[in-house]
Amino acid sequence: MPKILIVDDEEGIRMLYSMELQDEGYEIITLPDGNGLLEVLEKERPDCVIMDIKMKEFSGLDLLQQIRKRYYDLPVILNSAYSSFKVDLKSVAADYYVVKSSDLTELKEKLRLALEARIPQDMSDRS
Amino acid sequence: MKFEEDNPQRITSAEIVVGIPSLNEAATISFPVQQSDRGLTKYYSGKTSVIVNVDNHSPDGTHKAFMETNTATPKIYISTDAGVTGKGNNLRNLFQKALELEAKAVIVIDADLKSMSPIWIRNLAEPLFDDYDFVAPLYIRHKYDVTVTNSIAYPLTRALYGRRVRQPIGGDVGFSNQVTRSFAESRIWDEAIAHFGIDVWMTTNAVKSHGSIIQSFMGRPKVHKIRDIDSQVGLIFEDVVGTIFELMLHFESFWKEVKWSRPTGVYGFGLGDIEVPPPVNLDTHGLWEKFVSGVKKRWDIYSTVLERDNLIKLEEVMDIPAMGFEFPAGLWTKLVYDFAVAYKHELRNRGELVRSLIPLHYGKTLSFVLETEAMNNQQVEEYIEDQCLQFEKTKPYLLDRWGSS
Repeated sequence: MPKILIVDDEEGIRMLYSMELQDEGYEIITLPDGNGLLEVLEKERPDCVIMDIKMKEFSGLDLLQQIRKRYYDLPVILNSAYSSFKVDLKSVAADYYVVKSSDLTELKEKLRLALEARIPQDMSDRS
Repeated sequence: MKFEEDNPQRITSAEIVVGIPSLNEAATISFPVQQSDRGLTKYYSGKTSVIVNVDNHSPDGTHKAFMETNTATPKIYISTDAGVTGKGNNLRNLFQKALELEAKAVIVIDADLKSMSPIWIRNLAEPLFDDYDFVAPLYIRHKYDVTVTNSIAYPLTRALYGRRVRQPIGGDVGFSNQVTRSFAESRIWDEAIAHFGIDVWMTTNAVKSHGSIIQSFMGRPKVHKIRDIDSQVGLIFEDVVGTIFELMLHFESFWKEVKWSRPTGVYGFGLGDIEVPPPVNLDTHGLWEKFVSGVKKRWDIYSTVLERDNLIKLEEVMDIPAMGFEFPAGLWTKLVYDFAVAYKHELRNRGELVRSLIPLHYGKTLSFVLETEAMNNQQVEEYIEDQCLQFEKTKPYLLDRWGSS
């Protein structure tokens, strides 16, 4: 069962996503902000992170950079009520950027793609 | 390959090598040489460096113009034999020279750049001193610039190799000593790679070797010498797409295992000024005419290359008038995959096969122009993202048609 970490400062969002994604068969853990994020990643080893961008004391874009330094292969989906952060080049380091909606179809689809993504190690070729 | 070397300061080692490939760039080469020199002096005064012009034996005096450009950084000029052209051939000389010099960081800068600033040197070199192996450029470009990148080079390499490198044929790149050695020792080489195919060849090899790759934001748009766009697009398309198809044959065991794609981070955001790229005007009526006449002329080839359903859909697209023209992304993707499969089986005239895809590219470009006319840059990026997902989602079609050997 893939383990998903949700980082969002809105309790309602954390609850909604937890219910919907548990119904899809995912194991869910949550954090209300970036406090202790790296420790949680180390301890829980989630398969994917769904992270808000505009949180009270944290920027999801800055947290993404911290994640990438230590967990390069960990899929991260940025999930914001604002589409305007897409112009920030820091967002390029995310696997996907999904604008928040009450309909979670796109989020679930991008979560599936992020978890299924596969790049093999270099294999022998005909060079 | 190397025919002539002019190394007046007898340089035998350098930590940083800036390579500038050229063919008849006497009028333009001084600017990127001066900017490189300023960048090396400003950011890397504590490291040894050299600027190397790798030239195609240009008859216009490029050698003299390069050597007479006043710099604090030493310079070396290397030329291929007379009559041997191609950026790839020049870069092959650069790979060898960089290994001889035991360079830790190699940067390639185009000789006709008009918009380069010294910070480009730092943005391309710095990640290499931070354990990255390959640095691809990320420029702000006008939505109608680099149509080959947007319609095929980026979506296809991304779907094949699973890494999102937005400018796989960007031209201005950086790479480590380890990657330089792998480039120099590669046995995959042909005429297309020796010319404009070299950029996508480097990016693909770097991605496939699973080295540590990053994109570097250059701040300024890429502006270079205006050439005959029509002939240039044809040449670039043929070399770039021919190289991608050729590499598919060699790297089949790798790309068949790739599913979806992963991001590539960006270095250098917030550094320097962000400028608006100059406008690019495309002649939509001309694109329409070249699409229709080219497809009619090559219909026999399409009849043998394309799956029947795709051929029927292409006929439908041919019936859409220029005003309101649309080339569906799903159809374009399948046509490209059909051509890749045909390239695998066509042993006699692969060049002609790749050239046959160019009229379809004109149609796709026309559709892109019409669909994105009212979009800003961010909206265009989202449009291109959708096109890329189409290539990724349709990959099972390619795998099915490609077969097991």
